[in-house]
Amino acid sequence: MNEKGYLALVLHAHLPFVRHPEYEDFLEERWLFEAITETYIPLLNVFERLLEENMDYCLTMSITPTLASMLTDPLLQQKYLRNLEKLIELADKEVTRTRWQSDFHQLALMYYHRFTHTRYVFVDKYKMNLIPVFRRLQEAGRLEIITCAGTHAYLPLALHRQAVRAQIKTGVDLYQKLFGTRPKGIWLPECGYNPGDDEILKEEGIKYFIMDTHGILFGSPRPKYGVYAPCYCKSGVAAFSRDMESSKSVWSSIEGYPGDYNYREFYRDVGYDLDYEYIRPYINPDGTRVNTGIKYYRITGKTDDKQPYVPSWATAKAAEHAGNFMFNREKQVEYLYSIMHPRKPIIISPYDAELYGHWWFEGPQWLDFLIRKINFDQKTIKLITPSRYLEIYPKNQVLTPSMSSWGWKGYSEVWLEGSNDWIYRHLHKAAERMAELAKANNHPHVDGLKQRALNQMARELMLAQSSDWAFILKTGTFTTYAVRRIRDHIARFTYLYEQVKENRIDEGWLKSIEDKDNLFPEINYRIYAE
Amino acid sequence: MEKKDLAKFTKEELLELAKKLKIVGRYAYTKDELMDKIVKRYKTLNKNKAKPAPERKLPRIIEKVKKVITRGRKKKEVSPVVLGEKRVEERAPRPYWEAPVEPAQTVPQPQKEEISVAVAPAREEMFTFPRAYGDTKIVLLVRDPWWLHAYWEINREKEEELRKKLGDLYARSKYLLRVYDITDIIFDGTNAHSYFDIEINGGADNWYIEVGKPNRSWCVDLGLLTPDKKFFLVCRSNVVRTPRFGMSEITDEEWMSLEEDYWKLFGVAGGFGLGSSPVQAKRAFKRRFKEDISSGAPWSLFSLLEKEKERKFWLVVNTELIVYGATEPDAKVTVQGKLIKLRNDGTFTLRFALPDGMQYIPVEAVSSDGVDKRKVTPVVSRRTE
Repeated sequence: MNEKGYLALVLHAHLPFVRHPEYEDFLEERWLFEAITETYIPLLNVFERLLEENMDYCLTMSITPTLASMLTDPLLQQKYLRNLEKLIELADKEVTRTRWQSDFHQLALMYYHRFTHTRYVFVDKYKMNLIPVFRRLQEAGRLEIITCAGTHAYLPLALHRQAVRAQIKTGVDLYQKLFGTRPKGIWLPECGYNPGDDEILKEEGIKYFIMDTHGILFGSPRPKYGVYAPCYCKSGVAAFSRDMESSKSVWSSIEGYPGDYNYREFYRDVGYDLDYEYIRPYINPDGTRVNTGIKYYRITGKTDDKQPYVPSWATAKAAEHAGNFMFNREKQVEYLYSIMHPRKPIIISPYDAELYGHWWFEGPQWLDFLIRKINFDQKTIKLITPSRYLEIYPKNQVLTPSMSSWGWKGYSEVWLEGSNDWIYRHLHKAAERMAELAKANNHPHVDGLKQRALNQMARELMLAQSSDWAFILKTGTFTTYAVRRIRDHIARFTYLYEQVKENRIDEGWLKSIEDKDNLFPEINYRIYAE
Repeated sequence: MEKKDLAKFTKEELLELAKKLKIVGRYAYTKDELMDKIVKRYKTLNKNKAKPAPERKLPRIIEKVKKVITRGRKKKEVSPVVLGEKRVEERAPRPYWEAPVEPAQTVPQPQKEEISVAVAPAREEMFTFPRAYGDTKIVLLVRDPWWLHAYWEINREKEEELRKKLGDLYARSKYLLRVYDITDIIFDGTNAHSYFDIEINGGADNWYIEVGKPNRSWCVDLGLLTPDKKFFLVCRSNVVRTPRFGMSEITDEEWMSLEEDYWKLFGVAGGFGLGSSPVQAKRAFKRRFKEDISSGAPWSLFSLLEKEKERKFWLVVNTELIVYGATEPDAKVTVQGKLIKLRNDGTFTLRFALPDGMQYIPVEAVSSDGVDKRKVTPVVSRRTE
């Protein structure tokens, strides 16, 4: 134990629930498919290899209930496989097409091997379901998987305590079902924290949550160790908060590693570059060009004249950047230790998991290098998870963290502004109505059709609450889809509300939406009764 | 579609559907008649759709061109568009310090076909968000340490009651938001530390309120102010607190920290290098909020690593070569020495990126019994000038 401090890498894996059995192909379902091919499987490959080689490491990963629901859904698994097969077919054609251009030919071969390997891993090794693989890694002590609010609702704008509780409880219950244990920690959606929400976490037995830097720095009383030690809220739940310096080096588009000129250029995809007739079978069925995942260029520089990607150069860079990251953390830990001694600081570095592999193609490689280097090349820092740090340091300062989020400008503006503020009126009303009916039916005699309708109402309400829709409205792309989703869920909720009240439930229709919005099969509407 | 399928819809829903189907005179019909008309209309639509395109003998090349032309699907408007327009209208007066949102931004544009007339629209598609829920209430939300957001609605009964109460004065009174600072007190309507008023115009139903003070508690009354400055309460909001922005002035004994150390740690945490001074750190921290170092949503299409957008004129030209042919379906064909797969009818197509220079493409076919051999070698040269 001669390390001077700890590094906790936290990967937040999240996608909103997008599942459309009513369509054979649905554009937005590609979000999941891309993330599986480019992020989740590459990360699992790294984690498993490190485990096989007995490397000492531990990481924290949040897998949101919506993502977990999609990863375990047989229909989406089938659809993913079909998507992957198409991709392999395209890569195969590309191998032939690029035969006389050796730079591109090598890359086409790389993709072909990558995708066929992905198929092998997904089908033969993982039997179409990634969740048990994550679970095994957790049981091996390498991953600490934490949960998240049911549908990733932005909690500071939820208004009703029952709505917050239902989100948290749903996340915890699904976690227990999938991972066979209670979650130690939770990722609050968008790191959105509102003082008092920790009491609900406490009720669910959660030990810690992650928040943004200023949540602790502006907490009261003044935090002795800044963000480099956790603090207990009055409820006894620990708050760990993000270290900005380490965050920046990966996140920042200006100073961050992913912008290096040797790395793969995200925006040059054959889906857009190749002849329409040729690429047609591999893009969206309605003819819209989309990213396929086959990209041949490196970032090159601030130019449109992109040069072919050279994998070996990118790998060398990833190794260099991992070394740089480690060196900076060593310096940081030494400095912090000099102030905090004898307490060893913990540096929390949270990232969106999809940054690795999807956006930053070399991200999983970088992570692999980083873990190996930490094992072999230094003695100052050690990887840790928040719960292990709490075991080492069970005594921590008590304070009230400040309301905060990790969104642009640090508070709620991303989810509450001109483009999306109109949704809260409807979300709040729906939550109010849900609580009303949950209270009116809070006895064990409710069963059958009525119980199903009430449970479905809870699902629809939660789906409408996803922070993703408000975010999409703000960014201005895909807004039709976001509006449609909020409308569909509020509509389904409202019709059910009326049907339950008037006692004329349309069973055929209820069945049809149960089949569509089929997540959280064990939900119990009574959580809204309080 | 049968008439019984329509029975579950309300008349309003059917009218909406009739509107989409352009049924003239729909308002005059009874529900029963309306259902008949809709069924009839579907039948005609389906008939038209089912009719095969007139057979025309076109030269192959034209057929191909035709295929290209007809490839794009027609986009249809979806209801959110209507909804969006309505909203813009409703929310016209914006007390928001930024420029009013352009309608183009607020109105969601349909991106792809979502409604097919041949299928009855799903119930969800007939749903429009209600403008109000028949309540009288005001809800307050915190946006950041300096701004709140309020939305409200007043139902008819309440409005009627106010009209009666105020009589002639009603028309000359103004709707107001009265914003109270009620930090650390139990508010009874009279004991606020201070308050300020915001006059609401043009039937707005939501407002961004600049309170400008972090770490304070707030409550808002929606009310009417008569010309003689009497305030009539309509409804009172929930209580919210703006978050603190800056170091807490409170320290605790057990975890006593020096201010100097706080700033030392603050500098690192904020990512401004080691040991920044308090002044630097605070300034830089405010700046960092403007940077986006979390994505909120990293999946497809949301730009995280900013794309360098320089508006420049540019041109890319690539050439590709298609080699195709046919032989006996059971023959073995190699192209440049590499065995290729034939389609069931013995045809094959290969598509190559064609770089500059000379390409020899020997194509060799061998019959299944190995007796017959044919070899053709196209030579292609590309030169870019």
